[in-house]
Amino acid sequence: MIEAQGLTKKYGDRTAVDGISFTVHPGRVTGFLGPNGAGKSTTMRMLLGLDRPTAGTVTVRGRSYADFPAPLRQVGALLEARALHPGRSARDHLRWMAASNGLPVRRVDEVLDLVGLTDVAGQRVGRFSLGMGQRLGIAVAMLGDPPVVVLDEPVNGLDPEGIRWVRTLTRQLAAEGRTVFLSSHLMSEMALTADHLVVIGRGRVLADCSMPDFIAEHAASYVRVRSPQRAEVAELLRRDGLEVTAVDDELRVQGRDAAAIGELVGRQGHLLHELTLVSSSLEDAFMTLTAASVEYTARDRTPAGATR
Amino acid sequence: MTGTLSTPAPDTVDLDPDRHVPGVRDPGFAQTLRAEWIKFWTVRSTPWSIGALVTLGAGLTVLVCAVSAADLATGTTGEAAGSFITWGMTVAQITAIVLGALVVTSEYGTGMIRATLTATPHRGRVLAAKALVLTGTLFLAGTVTAVLGYLGGNWFLEREGIGLALGDDGVLRSLLGSGLYMAGIGLFAAAVGLLVRHTAAALSIVLALLLVVGNMVMLLPGAWGEWATKLMPGNAGSVVATPVSFNPNLLEPWTGFAVFCAEVAAVVLAGYLVLRRRDA
Repeated sequence: MIEAQGLTKKYGDRTAVDGISFTVHPGRVTGFLGPNGAGKSTTMRMLLGLDRPTAGTVTVRGRSYADFPAPLRQVGALLEARALHPGRSARDHLRWMAASNGLPVRRVDEVLDLVGLTDVAGQRVGRFSLGMGQRLGIAVAMLGDPPVVVLDEPVNGLDPEGIRWVRTLTRQLAAEGRTVFLSSHLMSEMALTADHLVVIGRGRVLADCSMPDFIAEHAASYVRVRSPQRAEVAELLRRDGLEVTAVDDELRVQGRDAAAIGELVGRQGHLLHELTLVSSSLEDAFMTLTAASVEYTARDRTPAGATR
Repeated sequence: MTGTLSTPAPDTVDLDPDRHVPGVRDPGFAQTLRAEWIKFWTVRSTPWSIGALVTLGAGLTVLVCAVSAADLATGTTGEAAGSFITWGMTVAQITAIVLGALVVTSEYGTGMIRATLTATPHRGRVLAAKALVLTGTLFLAGTVTAVLGYLGGNWFLEREGIGLALGDDGVLRSLLGSGLYMAGIGLFAAAVGLLVRHTAAALSIVLALLLVVGNMVMLLPGAWGEWATKLMPGNAGSVVATPVSFNPNLLEPWTGFAVFCAEVAAVVLAGYLVLRRRDA
């Protein structure tokens, strides 16, 4: 269980994390979402005792990370950037980490096997691909067999097979009763992996709810209607009080389900070529929610030096 | 913020972190020390630096003794043989500085420091373990190097009849003193590394302080120049590493080394405070 209360981090005038509070429960995967610069990594660094909060607290199982005598047995962490010396072999990196927390050396071989790096364990990590580096990071996180697992962008640089492996692993860890806190910018991946979401933007919590609730609340679905008598159908639906938007050759209708729309149109004898319910994705919901809080937005033809 | 917790926790399974290892004790300083020892010896820079220290330190002492033995015997140089018997250490100290700086700055340069501090959040303990591994290794390597240089260099001096016995004034002290000075100067560089967190910056500062500023202050007028020269870390600390100093105006060996230790301790303390306060 991870608990943040009024957690705040300021760098000079800039507030990176602005008094956020949330709880991450055991037994499920909690996704940590937010645009770049939203404060995800800063929050994770404070959680791991690397950065000191300006105000507020973040605790694991009721204690500050720094108060654990053997933190690797409590919290396994994969940090966003590589925290490795490129000249050291994977096995040596795991060996010193195991030694620091009094973990038996056999754990080193166990986690190497778990992430599939046994064959390259003697190689310098500087020669590892991004994906191999990520696997080693996950090995580090699992070294102390911790009840709490914190993974910052774990699928970064992994191939599809690796992404699937991380998904299965995180689901399994949660099923074992562990607390899994996972950040990812890959929305589709998050939708498949997380049960619960904490969304932050500009250092504030924008949402803290289950995945289905989040999608239902923040992204509307619509019914796609295609008809050779597009204008008449649109007019008909509008008269019935439905919200209709014409996009290319289709109509996007909100406010009633596909069956009801079909019946309405059918009673007037209009032809229908398509009638499909389009559910919105996590990505749509995320975009809707964070549109106002995106720190760096790509814009076309913004004059250089223009103020935001 | 929209709503905090919408649903209660699905279950209360909270795994006991000690479940697989009954009776396991909390790790302490010994574990941190072991971890730092493994880290120290599993990067190539360590054996390279130590190898360079031994080669330069012992090799240059032997070379200098071989070249100047005849002149020393006739007295034409005006210097004592004791000034040459650990001469190589003045060059070898650069490798100790490089090693000391790298032990700290390579962690910041690569991001390793975050792994180190998540494994051991007790930052004072990390620093103490690092310092012990570094100074222990440098003391041993420095002493062995000085002894090798003495054995080789003295062979040439003895051929000219001006050999130094281990029992002669300051000889044994200078051999152990070489180890002590290497340990001290390496720790000094490591502490500067904690302050600036950058390899090139740390090396520039320490080398400039030792090799440039340490000599420039001699140009200061009168008592100012005299005392500044005596107190500069390189000048104060290195007297203990040689039986007879080239510069007769420096502090007594152990007085100088005490001053040097105080200076190193002050920089280490500053480095510790920065390590504790600053975000990693």
